[in-house]
Amino acid sequence: MTTTLRPAAALAPADGRLHGRTAVVTGAARGLGRSCAVRFAAEGADLVLVDVAEDLPGVPYPLGSGSQLDHTAELCRAHGAAVVTATADVRDPAAVDRVAGLALDRFGTVDVLLNNAGIAAPSGKAVHEIAEDEWDLMVGIDLTGAWRMTKAVVPAMIEQRSGSVVNVASTAGLVGYRHFAGYVAAKHGLIGLTKAAALDYAPFRVRVNALCPGSVRDDPLHEGRMLAEIARSLDVDVEEHEEIFVQSQPMNALIEPQDIAGAALWLAGDDSRQVTGTTLTVDGGFSAR
Amino acid sequence: MSRSQAASCHSLVVRMPGPVDPAALRRRLRDGAAGILPEPDGLRLWEETLPRGADDDAVRARVHREALRPLRRGGPPLRAVLLRPADGDPDADATLVLVARRHLALGGPDPLVLAHWPDGAGTPRPADADRPALEWGLGDPSAAGRAGEVAVPLSGPAVTAGTALLHASVALVLARYGEGEQVDETRTAAEFTGEWRQRTTPGSDTPRLPSGIGVLVEDGIPGQRHLPYLAPALPGLLHATRHPDGTVSAVLHYGHGDLNPCVAERFAAHVAHVAVQLADRPEAPLDTVDLLTPEEREHVLRLGVTPPAGPPEATARTVDGLFADVARERPDAIALTAGDTRLTYAELDARAEQTAAGLRSLDVAPGSMVGVALERDADLVVTLLGVLKAGCAYVPMDLGHPPERLRYTVDDAGAEVVVASDGILPGSSAVRTVTPAALRALGAAEPPAPPRPEDPSAPAYVIYTSGSTGRPKGVVVPHRSVAALVDATREDFRLTGDDVWTLFHSSAFDFSVWEIWGCLLTGGRLVVVDYWTARDTEQFHDLLSRERVTVLNQTPSAFAQLVETDRRADTELTLRLVIFGGEPLDVRMLVPWFARHSHTACRLVNMFGITETTVHVTAHTVTPHDVLAAGRQVGPALPGWTLSVRDPRGRVLPIGAAGEICVGGAGVADRYLGQPELTAERFVTDPHGGGRIYRSGDRGRLRPDGSLDHLGRLDSQVKVRGHRIELDEIRNVLLSHPEVTGAATVLGHDVPGDPATARIDAYVTLRGPAGTAELLAHARGMLPSYMVPATVTELDALPLTINGKVDTAALPAPGAPARSAPAAGAPVTAGSANEDDDPLAAQILKLWSHALNADVTSQDNFFELGGNSLLVIRVLREMREQGLPKVTTQDLYRNSTAGRFIELVRNARS
Repeated sequence: MTTTLRPAAALAPADGRLHGRTAVVTGAARGLGRSCAVRFAAEGADLVLVDVAEDLPGVPYPLGSGSQLDHTAELCRAHGAAVVTATADVRDPAAVDRVAGLALDRFGTVDVLLNNAGIAAPSGKAVHEIAEDEWDLMVGIDLTGAWRMTKAVVPAMIEQRSGSVVNVASTAGLVGYRHFAGYVAAKHGLIGLTKAAALDYAPFRVRVNALCPGSVRDDPLHEGRMLAEIARSLDVDVEEHEEIFVQSQPMNALIEPQDIAGAALWLAGDDSRQVTGTTLTVDGGFSAR
Repeated sequence: MSRSQAASCHSLVVRMPGPVDPAALRRRLRDGAAGILPEPDGLRLWEETLPRGADDDAVRARVHREALRPLRRGGPPLRAVLLRPADGDPDADATLVLVARRHLALGGPDPLVLAHWPDGAGTPRPADADRPALEWGLGDPSAAGRAGEVAVPLSGPAVTAGTALLHASVALVLARYGEGEQVDETRTAAEFTGEWRQRTTPGSDTPRLPSGIGVLVEDGIPGQRHLPYLAPALPGLLHATRHPDGTVSAVLHYGHGDLNPCVAERFAAHVAHVAVQLADRPEAPLDTVDLLTPEEREHVLRLGVTPPAGPPEATARTVDGLFADVARERPDAIALTAGDTRLTYAELDARAEQTAAGLRSLDVAPGSMVGVALERDADLVVTLLGVLKAGCAYVPMDLGHPPERLRYTVDDAGAEVVVASDGILPGSSAVRTVTPAALRALGAAEPPAPPRPEDPSAPAYVIYTSGSTGRPKGVVVPHRSVAALVDATREDFRLTGDDVWTLFHSSAFDFSVWEIWGCLLTGGRLVVVDYWTARDTEQFHDLLSRERVTVLNQTPSAFAQLVETDRRADTELTLRLVIFGGEPLDVRMLVPWFARHSHTACRLVNMFGITETTVHVTAHTVTPHDVLAAGRQVGPALPGWTLSVRDPRGRVLPIGAAGEICVGGAGVADRYLGQPELTAERFVTDPHGGGRIYRSGDRGRLRPDGSLDHLGRLDSQVKVRGHRIELDEIRNVLLSHPEVTGAATVLGHDVPGDPATARIDAYVTLRGPAGTAELLAHARGMLPSYMVPATVTELDALPLTINGKVDTAALPAPGAPARSAPAAGAPVTAGSANEDDDPLAAQILKLWSHALNADVTSQDNFFELGGNSLLVIRVLREMREQGLPKVTTQDLYRNSTAGRFIELVRNARS
């Protein structure tokens, strides 16, 4: 049975933990990106919302759209946030630089970078079956994209001697999954990037941490569809996939998007000011086995 | 966001009447920037929608956030943000926020037309990063860089009188706060305002802005609001706007790191209140101008009042009457432990009755002063209580004081009888000395006294404190004040018959009043700590553990030693309450204590107090949080006590401003014995209805919650290891030597910031050949040991300030410690402590040299080189750590010459 948790908002009322901060969120059109962005806005942050906002060749499922990105922006503005939206593919260096410039022109600084943009498919193949362009696509977005955003935004954080980078990895960054080599390799790489960057930036009080969600429910409110895509890649019956993923998580529940938003908020804000280079896993106990 | 970046930007908020066409607005902005910005066409208009249903406050906050958002370094020099209501009607008004670097001017008849800033003159410079904090600001350093603002509530004539009035008002307010330029308050308001009009006339020099508070005057345009800096460029900036109709309004911008919001609000109110008075009464002298409104004064005075804990009848009692109540309730409970002596309440009561009867047999009438010069033992407590039972006041004397001082005390107090051990007090025909035993023997034969009504206003004791005239002064404290002290603390400290207290301090130090009566009037057991145990922290620690002491009173210096001992001790303490008094507490020394003891199991309370207000005034419970904050808080007034902070003219000062701490309420002593003029000067009637108040001479400031920060002394009084010392008293003793023509005394530290190394250095000019050793002997004959200077340096002349006062800052480093000349014929064998010849002597001399910060030879005396009780403990501890045999404190006191001490250690080892 799936247990429905109470909404996170009821657990932790907003108290301005990101008041006066500016956060850049990639992959913000829907899903975890939207959930985190709205939670940041509720805590007083102003936002730069970034998404590729179009379908990409080679990705076998529809990606976030421009209207979904605008909808996230509206949800944030409802909390009183100032919001700038930008369309960018994190594989495009010029586009990434443009996003960083836009953020700094508008807000003067960036305090939080949430590297959330990522794809889960093309997957479902053994290692030797993965094509060159499929590998490049996966690693280019899920790993290199995070590096590229970090490279563009962190100089401003170094200058102000504060900042928090949160890389959304996955339990696939901790363990392997059959027929998911590209995704697993990219997410393992992202955790490695997190640790190395944490050491590079610690002297400047810029923190870098990774967040590893387990199986997150595709909440209609956030229009998420990652779990369904993973299920599809694994040839799991889409009707039953939630039940199957629940069984792997000892808490006997799927992770809710707001659970990830709460963890991201903690890493973004001052409560974790001595935390860097760490991996925060929110997987209902999956990796404890 | 770096503060300098924010301080390099300013912003303008412009109300845009609807309908607003963003495209047209963008075009006008680009046109207005032509010739000013390098790439006007690249200027972007950021559009924001305000949330649906947002109230005015939320919109204002949102606009304000935009107006405070600095530009990025190296980015465009201007940002334009248009804020409009979400899906509102197109005709709705909008708000335009322009943020620019300060070299661009903002505002003007057409705010969309940019210009270069005409001239930077007249605008305050951003504050230096390392400028010291405003003493009165009570800012929160962790909030540095956060900006706040509060309106200056100008009213009436102050609104139309022009901006020179504001400058004058700020100057007067700062002077009253004790900051900025001094102001001659005999001048009239008109003269003072006129001076500031002169000083702020264009073309004259820009007035220097006093003490981190700036004044900036600008012309205002309707519908526009200019923020001159986005981060606090100064601790406070009074931003005045001249409006087209001739009126003036003002806002105080401040940094939370410098000013507490409550203090900022009051400061703004004071400027407004002063401005109204200056404008209203131009012919009035400045000293008639009030800083505070009557309501605020009332508020500040009320803030310093803590209502009594109990009903008035609880404190309308005598000490002996309250003791009799306890003795009746628990006659068989142990009241006193002193060595092997144990007395129950009934036994203590009976012995004290005999003592009282003995005094009656000597015809000592009620109301007399009775000297008590006894070692700390059971007889001391019996005698003090007996004196009170006889209706007399006790005058405690410390046997460690020189005979000259003891004689002075007896004479000054007019004591006809002194209770002392045989031969301790030098004979004097007018004074009769009697031992405690003899007194009780006399009393045994006396018939019981008829019952005497309690007189709570009668003096209970007279304690002598250092006086600046060179003569100690006797403070007369009535019974009701002691009753009030016990009543004030009983509940908060949960004092009960289960408590065990120590009597650690000299009866001549009023901390002992609290130890004795705090314990015995709440039914506790008082453990008397003898002189030598009090000087050996290991023995004392053992005693605390053995006697299961629960309530301990210590000076911070003494407790610091105990903390060190406690770190190494195996025995457990049962303390539940530790009270600090006698000197300022540096909370950092408590770190190892808190590591071993939970502050919930053993409460630590820091109490600020003065003999003239009955031992204590305030109480502040110290927690590990305080250790981090490292503040100077001593807490709010005790129940029944009142606090206020006043300026030199006695005017009540606002929250934050530092001035003289004035204490009123239940603890205020009667008077200085036999010194009506000094009494009238220090004990005054509060013109604001607070009854009698004592002007303490201590500096302090009130916090918004009514707690006090203690900031030291206004005059030359200093504290050395808990002893309150008037440097002038020592100076006068030196001057009393026939060869001395001039003298100065200063407090110094061998190791800066280490209170254990505090010492007094004296400087003298001499007419004859007197040596410094002779001067020391002279001082030692007249002063208690803690007041004897550690060094005496001879100078040709004392450096003076232009006001003719001794310029202590210009005094040279003290000369070598004043050594006694070697006794004639004593062999001075230089190099006798050569390491090869005598490694033990070398080791000990090295230890002493290190502790005393001097090059010690075997002829030197520990105490003449500035040694003191704390350094004794330190040396003995270091010896043990180096594996040398254990030597008691007493042994070092008795063998204080290095040579003798080395022999002592040698014998102990063999």
